Amino acid sequence: MASFLGRVEPRPEDPWTTFERLQREMQSLLAPAGWRELPLDASRVFPPTNLYDASESLVLMAELPGVRESDLDISVQGNQVVLRGQRSIQYPEGASAHRRERQVGAFHRTVELPFVVDADKVDAVYRHGVLILHVPKPREHQRRQVQVRAS
Amino acid sequence: MMSNELQQSPDRAMEVRGKEAVQREGMRPGWVFRPDVDIVEKPEEYVVTADLPGVGEEDLQVHLEKGVLTIEAQPSVRPEDRWQPLHLEYRIGGYRREFAMSEAVDAQGISARMRDGVLEIRLPKPKPHQPRRIAVTRG
Repeated sequence: MASFLGRVEPRPEDPWTTFERLQREMQSLLAPAGWRELPLDASRVFPPTNLYDASESLVLMAELPGVRESDLDISVQGNQVVLRGQRSIQYPEGASAHRRERQVGAFHRTVELPFVVDADKVDAVYRHGVLILHVPKPREHQRRQVQVRAS
Repeated sequence: MMSNELQQSPDRAMEVRGKEAVQREGMRPGWVFRPDVDIVEKPEEYVVTADLPGVGEEDLQVHLEKGVLTIEAQPSVRPEDRWQPLHLEYRIGGYRREFAMSEAVDAQGISARMRDGVLEIRLPKPKPHQPRRIAVTRG
C-alpha cells in the first residue's frame, strides 16, 4: 500500500528555510511604521509540492511563483522526478526595502514515485507560476476491469 | 511522512505548507492565504511585489481606498476535482492582503501586472512641487 502512494522528500540541506525565517523575524521587528499589518510566519520547503492520483497517471503540482520557465529544470531518473532551478529577484539601485518576505535562491527537490518513469511520456505544463506534471502510470499500476465469465 | 497520514489530517498538512491561512469562512467558501510580499521604495515610487501562484491577470483585484491597499485573488490553476490527493504540502485557496499606507501615493498613476504568478504593483509618489522663481519687483 505504502509504495503506491509516492513520496516527496524535502532536501535536508535546503539552506533557505531557517535562514529566511530568522531574517523575516528580524524584519518584522524593524518594519517601519508606514506599512503595518499583522506579522506571522511558518516554516516551508521550496517549492511546495502536491501529488495526486488521476487514475491513469500521477499528477505532481508545484508552486514556483516568479521562477522563469527557462530557469526551471525537470529531469527523470528511474522512479525519481527531480525539480531544479532558481529564483532571483533584482531590485534597482537606490531602492530601499520596507519588507522582504519573498525567498530567493536555488532549489532542488526530488520526488519519488512508486514506479519507473518513462521520461518521454511525462507531460509538463507551466502556467501562472505553477508546474503541473502528468506522469502516466505503467499498465501494472493502473486499475483494470476484470471480466467475469458465466460458467 | 507518508501521504496517507496527510490525507487523514488536513490540519497537519497545513503546517507543512508555508502559506498562512487568514480565514476560512467568509463571503466565499474555502481557504484564504496571505501571500508573501516585498515592498521596495524608490525615489519616485513604491513597488509592491506579491507571490500569487496560480493567479493570472483575470483572477486578480487590486484596489486602494482610504490609504488601504488591498490585494485579492482566486487562482485559476487548480487540480481537477477527480484527482485523489496522495501528498499535500500546500492548499489551494484565495489570496488576500491589506496594507495601511501612511505615505501619500498618486492614486491615478498606480499600475499592476502579473508574470509567472507574481504580482507587481507600482505606486508613484505624488509629484513634488516644481521649484518656482519668484520675480522680485522693485517697489
